[in-house]
Amino acid sequence: MSVYQHPYKDVDFVIRHLLEFDAFCKENNLADVDTDFANVILSEADKFAAKYLVEQNQQGDLHPAKLVDGKVVETPGFGDSYNAFVEQGWPSLSASESFGGQGLPNLFSVAANEIWQSANLAFALCPLLGQGAISALEKHGSETLKAQYLEKMISGQWTGTMNLTEAAAGTDLAAIKTRAVQKDGQYKIFGQKIFITWGDHQMADNIIHLVLARLPDAPAGVKGISLFIVPKFLLDEAGNPAAENDLRCISLEHKLGIHGSPTCVMSYGDNEGAIGYLVGEEHCGLRYMFSMMNHARQGVGVQGLGITERAFQGALEYASQRVQGSDKAGNDIRIIAFGDVRRMLLMMKSGAEAMRALCYVAGFEYDKKSVAADEDKAAVDATIAFLTPIVKGWCTELAQELVSLAMQVYGGAGYIEEAGVAQHVRDARILPIYEGTTGIQALDLTIRKTLLDNGAQATLFIEQIQQCVDDLNMLEGAGDLQSALSSALDDGRAALAWLAENPKQADSVAAHNLQLWGYLLGGWLMAKSSIAAQQQLDKGEGDSEYLKAKLVTCQFYTEHLLVRTKASIASIKAGSEAIMSLSEEQFFSHVN
Amino acid sequence: MSILVIAEHDNESLKSATLNTVTAALAIGGDVSVLVAGSQCQSVAEAAAKISGVSKVLVADNAVYERQLAENMLPLIVELAAGKTHLLAPATTSGKNIMPGVAALLDVAQISEIISVESADVFERPIYAGNAIAKVQSLDAVKVLTVRTTAFDEAELTGAASIEVVASVCDAGNSRFVGEEVAVSERPELTSAKVIISGGRGMGNGENFALLEAVADKLGAAVGASRAAVDAGFVSNDMQVGQTGKIVAPDLYIAVGISGAIQHLAGMKDSKVIVAINKDEEAPIFSIADYGLVADLFEAVPELEAKL
Amino acid sequence: MKVLVTVKRVIDYNVKVRVKSDNSGVDLSNVKMAMNPFCEIAVEEAIRLKEAGIATEVVVVSLGVKACQEQLRTALALGADRAIHVETDQELESLNVAKLLAKVIEEEQPGMVILGKQAIDTDNNQTGQMLAALTGMPQGTFASKIVVDGDKALVTREVDGGLQTVELNMPIIATTDLRLNEPRYASLPNIMKAKRKPLVVKTIEELGVSIKDHTKLLSVTPPPERQGGIKVADVAELVDKLKNEAKVI
Repeated sequence: MSVYQHPYKDVDFVIRHLLEFDAFCKENNLADVDTDFANVILSEADKFAAKYLVEQNQQGDLHPAKLVDGKVVETPGFGDSYNAFVEQGWPSLSASESFGGQGLPNLFSVAANEIWQSANLAFALCPLLGQGAISALEKHGSETLKAQYLEKMISGQWTGTMNLTEAAAGTDLAAIKTRAVQKDGQYKIFGQKIFITWGDHQMADNIIHLVLARLPDAPAGVKGISLFIVPKFLLDEAGNPAAENDLRCISLEHKLGIHGSPTCVMSYGDNEGAIGYLVGEEHCGLRYMFSMMNHARQGVGVQGLGITERAFQGALEYASQRVQGSDKAGNDIRIIAFGDVRRMLLMMKSGAEAMRALCYVAGFEYDKKSVAADEDKAAVDATIAFLTPIVKGWCTELAQELVSLAMQVYGGAGYIEEAGVAQHVRDARILPIYEGTTGIQALDLTIRKTLLDNGAQATLFIEQIQQCVDDLNMLEGAGDLQSALSSALDDGRAALAWLAENPKQADSVAAHNLQLWGYLLGGWLMAKSSIAAQQQLDKGEGDSEYLKAKLVTCQFYTEHLLVRTKASIASIKAGSEAIMSLSEEQFFSHVN
Repeated sequence: MSILVIAEHDNESLKSATLNTVTAALAIGGDVSVLVAGSQCQSVAEAAAKISGVSKVLVADNAVYERQLAENMLPLIVELAAGKTHLLAPATTSGKNIMPGVAALLDVAQISEIISVESADVFERPIYAGNAIAKVQSLDAVKVLTVRTTAFDEAELTGAASIEVVASVCDAGNSRFVGEEVAVSERPELTSAKVIISGGRGMGNGENFALLEAVADKLGAAVGASRAAVDAGFVSNDMQVGQTGKIVAPDLYIAVGISGAIQHLAGMKDSKVIVAINKDEEAPIFSIADYGLVADLFEAVPELEAKL
Repeated sequence: MKVLVTVKRVIDYNVKVRVKSDNSGVDLSNVKMAMNPFCEIAVEEAIRLKEAGIATEVVVVSLGVKACQEQLRTALALGADRAIHVETDQELESLNVAKLLAKVIEEEQPGMVILGKQAIDTDNNQTGQMLAALTGMPQGTFASKIVVDGDKALVTREVDGGLQTVELNMPIIATTDLRLNEPRYASLPNIMKAKRKPLVVKTIEELGVSIKDHTKLLSVTPPPERQGGIKVADVAELVDKLKNEAKVI
């Protein structure tokens, strides 16, 4: 059985020293919150996860949700955990106070999400996607819709889903066929949606589906898609769930992982049509969906962090107990003593810590936005927009490698299900796929977020990283770190320059550009962490063992992960020549 | 040095915990007397008089002491403490209930659950659930101690002490015994059993503890459980062996389907011989077991019963 | 009725204890701290008494370093109404704690005081009993059930070999055993509310209690390690070893 303990010291370090959250609170007169309070909340979240989620993770894997008589019955025990989750108020953590939320910083929500995702990724997907539905409704829904739905969705009494994909419309949402028809002053929805996560279950009194559909008179393409709220149960006069709507789950997917999360094929309007309520204006649905996409994508990035941390802890525990061989004196040697095992453990440790830094930095931007003056909000939005594909794409891809390394540490035992790490490997595999594949994230970063603004946002980050390179002068003995970061930054500059000159080749090299930026931002934040850790040590404050380990972890990251920008820039500079030159026939030429 | 040991008894028989406590008292050295406070407890006093090394047995025989309620015991012991250098009781629920209050009224510390006597004023005791051993020196004129019985042998019963009646009757009048539910069992109590067989989460459910009971019946053993088994609702809390349950040290401890969490080990690692039966070869329990058997308990335990 | 509950900040029970290499104590620097589990049960019991309409106010008290306020806030988040922190950097022995608590009781005049039966650091199991002796209140130690009936309380106690029920005249001191209840978790809205609940800080001097050391800690050492033995191949070998080698059956 795999273990999990909240990495509370690293979380505290990131919030307190890397983000300097307390100074932010003071500057903005946020009297009620600070890092200490974050710790209070997170330690309760940790207790909750330990009791309800950590062990149930395997239950979800072994006993997937089932479709019984047209209803999805979730993994045994998940319903009780969900009830407790709602009772304890966790879904409402950072939701707006005007609808019963606690109004806490998004940063707290990111940090709590890390715990939920480490503890039980399949379970935690349900509230994670609910968040997306909530924010779409909050931003774009009419006052009537908000009054009817928002409070109960925020409290978690009702869950929310996002219905985008159809059989022929995955990445290309322009192809969606689900119809919305206006009849008797109501919208009726007809069509089939696939890959609907937690599309049905018995844990909550109602499920609020956000569905993309096309009106009869809609313009072609993405500009003709509208967004509807389609509740599982229609509300009665008093606002309570009553009559069943014309929608159902018709099948569950058999998946590689996240077995505890039901992935539904949803059918709308098999009979008279599913009643839906328009969100915002007609034909603007895709724009609304994208406004919440950043948030959901960052959430998936945090899933990459969460599962890496969990797998790392299991591997660490195993490596510190597993005996292989003995020394000359006849003492047992535990495999944590071996260089290659240490390398793998440090890959996971440094990778997880860099991911954590990046995820928290990106999540914190939302809090900066909420206190920013109106004229400054656009600039924060641009920062969020730039960071989001990196958080999503880089963290989830790196998670694949690191979770796989976790299995490697176990050797053959890891490949056996009982060790628990196999589940993490299988569960993790969806992360670079859903909510926009890595390819989409790479294009988003490289074209929309870099080329379209002529590299303005990228340049802002380059300036900040250069500042950090300069700041490393303060850190004694950091010469190697400084030159490595400086050199990686040069790779970032070179990539930006190359893309500006070769915009047509951007789609071939976008994946490398995404990786380059991921490792570069990770290296930047690890370097900043080194400075902060050393300052703590110099002052004689903090936990010196943790801080010294942080310095070594940053060093390892620099030596083993940051250097990957070298490979990325080389591939970027190679351009699309080889990538695009094969004819389709030539791809098959070795078999035809 | 003059030592008073508070006897553990049920008005009919003297409990063996008293014998371990006398051994601790004798290790301190000096004159050792034993207080038997109860009701109609003459037979207990006579048994106590036979404990080797005891010079005098004090008997306070009155209805107010029948249940040894702390409220009534405190003034009695404080009165008898005059001239004593040490007051000892076994670290049973009764001793733990009474002695701290005695210490408070004497304005001295109590040193709890001592496991060794280093000198007349220096004692060792486990802290942090046995994960550390503290050596503590008393700075008080009177040392009030409770004694972990498993750490001291039983004193022999070859003595012939005098029996002296204590006339004091202390009735605080603010507490009253209402009733008791004694766990009815053919088997010995966990804390005094020579053999214990315990089950953990690996037992799967409460019904499966019948497998352990069958072995226990053959060995005259008590049946215990790990906290994980109690938390999972398999069995009741009074069967729990461990840091927050009962501390045991039998001659033979058989751990079945117990992984060996630190809380559990804290409660049984002083057993003379430990046997572990677990299908997980990596279970920490094997690192302290004298005999480990890697096997499915559902096969191994019935086989064990058959072979006994 | 006012219920006073004591709360101790101790090492988190999941943390592996490390003895300092100079044998001066246990290394508590930078380890995770938490509310003593038996104190959690005490807080829970008080809140249940309040929910049942028996208690009207729940006051939590902690003695120790400033950081004890974290545990007091947790108790407030669980449902206690207000908190008293007796702040001191001194290590306090049980008797000194009991004397300070007796003073708090004198000021607060609660109808019931609930303490954990022991703290999982020092494992002393004595403060509640000492407090009863000092205040003259009757004690229901190792409680697995507390029933208040007018000016009496029926306390069922976990004693060796079973359960014992005593009737005590109120006000009483109770100490908690594991089976008394299963503590709840603090809900998020209650954590938020707890920030605004009153927490008063007092000093030992303000309480006017003179304290002194009654014991001296000479050393703290790790327990002797028990060595693992052998693995037996099957049940037959096990029985043979137990009979002929260990001679315990």
